[in-house]
Amino acid sequence: MTVSQSAIPRVDAAPRPIRARLAMTVLSYGGLAVTTCLLAPLVGSTSISLSRAFDRSIPFADNIDAQIFFVARLPRVLAGALVGAALASAGVVLQALLRNPLATPFTLGVSAGAALGAMLAISFGTAVALGPLSPVPLASLAGASLAAAIVYALATKPGRPMSTSVLLLAGVTLNSFFSALILFVQYMADFAEVYRTVRWLMGDLDIGGLAPIAAVLPLVVTAFAIFAMLPSSLNLLSVGADIAATRGVDVARTQRLAFLSAALATSAAVALAGPIGFIGIVVPHLVRLMTGVDHRIALPASALFGAAFLVACDLVARTVLAPVEVPVGIVTAMIGGPFFLWLLVRKA
Amino acid sequence: MAARAKGLIVVAALAIMATGGLKVLTTGGLKASGYQIGTGAHRIISLVPALTEMLFAIGAGPQVVAVSSYDDFPADTRTLPRVGALLDPDVERILVLRPDLVVTYGSQDALEAQLASAGIRTFSYRHGGIEALFQTMRDLGAAAGRAAEAERTAGAIRARLEAIRASVRGRPRPKVLLVFGREPRSLQQMYVSGGAGFLHDMLDIAGGTNVFADVPREAVQPSHETLLTRAPDVIVELHTTRPIAGAEIARERAVWSALGSMPAVQNGRIHFLNGDYLVVPGPRVGAATGALARAIHPEAFQ
Amino acid sequence: MFLHLQQTSFQYEGRSFSLQGVTLAVERGSLTGLLGPNGCGKTTLLKLMAGVLHPHGGTVVFDGRSIATISRRELARHLAVVPQETHPAFDYTVLEMVLMGRHPHLGAFQLEGPDDLAIAYDALAATGTAHLAARSYMSLSGGEKQRVVIASALAQQPDVLLLDEPTASLDLAYQLEVAALLARLNRERGVTIVLATHDLNLAASLCHSLVLVRAGRVLAEGATRDVLTGAMIRQLYDVEADVRFHEASGHLTVVPIGRAQ
Repeated sequence: MTVSQSAIPRVDAAPRPIRARLAMTVLSYGGLAVTTCLLAPLVGSTSISLSRAFDRSIPFADNIDAQIFFVARLPRVLAGALVGAALASAGVVLQALLRNPLATPFTLGVSAGAALGAMLAISFGTAVALGPLSPVPLASLAGASLAAAIVYALATKPGRPMSTSVLLLAGVTLNSFFSALILFVQYMADFAEVYRTVRWLMGDLDIGGLAPIAAVLPLVVTAFAIFAMLPSSLNLLSVGADIAATRGVDVARTQRLAFLSAALATSAAVALAGPIGFIGIVVPHLVRLMTGVDHRIALPASALFGAAFLVACDLVARTVLAPVEVPVGIVTAMIGGPFFLWLLVRKA
Repeated sequence: MAARAKGLIVVAALAIMATGGLKVLTTGGLKASGYQIGTGAHRIISLVPALTEMLFAIGAGPQVVAVSSYDDFPADTRTLPRVGALLDPDVERILVLRPDLVVTYGSQDALEAQLASAGIRTFSYRHGGIEALFQTMRDLGAAAGRAAEAERTAGAIRARLEAIRASVRGRPRPKVLLVFGREPRSLQQMYVSGGAGFLHDMLDIAGGTNVFADVPREAVQPSHETLLTRAPDVIVELHTTRPIAGAEIARERAVWSALGSMPAVQNGRIHFLNGDYLVVPGPRVGAATGALARAIHPEAFQ
Repeated sequence: MFLHLQQTSFQYEGRSFSLQGVTLAVERGSLTGLLGPNGCGKTTLLKLMAGVLHPHGGTVVFDGRSIATISRRELARHLAVVPQETHPAFDYTVLEMVLMGRHPHLGAFQLEGPDDLAIAYDALAATGTAHLAARSYMSLSGGEKQRVVIASALAQQPDVLLLDEPTASLDLAYQLEVAALLARLNRERGVTIVLATHDLNLAASLCHSLVLVRAGRVLAEGATRDVLTGAMIRQLYDVEADVRFHEASGHLTVVPIGRAQ
């Protein structure tokens, strides 16, 4: 299934060389991401005085403006950037791996595993925690890893390329199975716990400190390091596995690295902020419309745009109905839904 | 799961639009079903723990033949048969026990319709503030044939509340954050009392000003920024499902220190209260309000 | 010998089909056809030659070295494959498709430079598709698509080109176009070509030598005029056919007459 771009007239018939295009892309999307991240902490439901916030002479514990800026807003913006970049990149990579532009970071069961982990932690109220992470993110990470491991084991045979159809089926099956388990746990739990799980499913970037980010940073950095190695192989892989092999791509290795990095990035993002939907599919599509489908450009652009996009969505989420906060997953859904309708209409 | 979550997200979004906020508990006034509240009922089944407590408090305990899955106060209820609760009432069991009055939640329309067609009276409960609580007690007393006792009990509770109000009268009313749900070791996913509902009323009687008094909802989920802005003087955490003690209290207290600019944190005014009775809008509301008042104005109760 | 299989056997997992003890040789600069009915193993042989599949027994040798010892990347610099059908999952342009053929020549993080671009345009010109460079690949006709895929294989600057049923889904005009292109590449650039086909007349008109394959075994191997006989065709296809030299076209033609009794 492919999305045709031929309906859009190309601006320049002779495309610029890729080095120039890549440099331009990184500069412009990078600029967008940085600007968004710099401006976002300045805006909020309360107005604060920046000069007071940065006034070192006031002890931090007494400085409300500083606390709002550094404890409430800044970690939130950084988390938004991290999660947005991670989910958008994971989306691009999985779409290439599965040769399907409709794949999302949650297609392979990772988010269902995370949700089950979170649900169990919420219901059985474990006071078990590891350092700065409270039990829910920890349990969701464990659940996500379990799901990824199962799907990986099902779809991999040593030395042989992965079967994308088995991958897809395994992911879908796992999603269903874990969802059934979640429903069962919900049934046994009481109403408040059910509501808390539902709320967790809507996503929450309000982490209140940098410690949770630091905790998942190794996962994210590893994922991005692998992402950096993949784009040209992903191009070839998405044309066809056999043809990629005859052009020098180690298909099995590329597939495994793609799966691993996407699973890492998604697990980390979900552990940090819950399963925020639509980023992993809206951003890659939007970016491909603007930059073309070459993964060497689309992947970094998606990461940067994803960061800016989620930070912007969170900004809307925390200001539009102040003092009530709209869960950020609702904002991304409200944008994502109409976007897809528009895509469908355009295609038809 | 993604599809279901998205479905829930859409529903929640619509709810936000329509009602201006997410509701945790149903609100509204009290309503009794359209049947004659006349002759007392002798075989009562109660699905609502708060109303079970009321029945026992007004002396109608012996008339209660079955309770919900969540009832455990007073101790007598522990030996009674259980018939489910809000989400899973067991109609067959209810019918088999041949009740003449069933206390249901206002949202259980299907159940009420089924019971009506079996000719069984229902008493429909709608959640509300403290005044609504007294009205419910009176109506329930009438339905159980214990109107006089209900009046007396309600009067006693009201007197107790008035006594508490008097004890704290004239004292400065601190800004209080009343927390009734929180993720352990985290300030996310926190549920606090808004400016409506019986928790808010209790807080008011106990001599505190709700930091979210201006939000006309029973439950609020504040962000870190909102908490910092509202700057409560006192934080009271209600722990109902699992009592909190010792080292755990110290750990949870430490979690609040991230928001050091709040007066409550700076002055060490973070209180942890244990017990189901704190969140049941029933006869023990006097004790609950007393506990709140002692936490907020310790010097008034030396 | 340039590219040859020595006593090679292969079996697909869970399928009964197998290649047993296949030995065949492709000379440098030749234009060889692998001819046989569907399911005879032509595609499997091509994949073994390309190193996509690994033989269970025997060896595949390229330019004196067993390809098991040659890295994928290095092999890709000498050997390119044109599959029967190419369905990219994303809407690449023609130029992007062709530039992908430069992958084996680029370092791990290297982007293509002006030299690579020149090679790509040259490949497009060789296949008569230079004017389509900026077009979306998916918007092309069948014949144009096939020529673009050949161009992307040419961009690898291979010594050997392997094609799987290159004309199978094409209209007659495009069939002739592609055949003429392959002949020209072989003649003017010295590219060794091996193509798998079940089209008797394509084999007859285009290939200098043929390998006849049936049920995983080599039936015959040699120059087209020696191998493409009525007797061989009967053995290969269970079909009576008339093979004769066609004056006007300058090559053999095969006319099927009926099923063999």
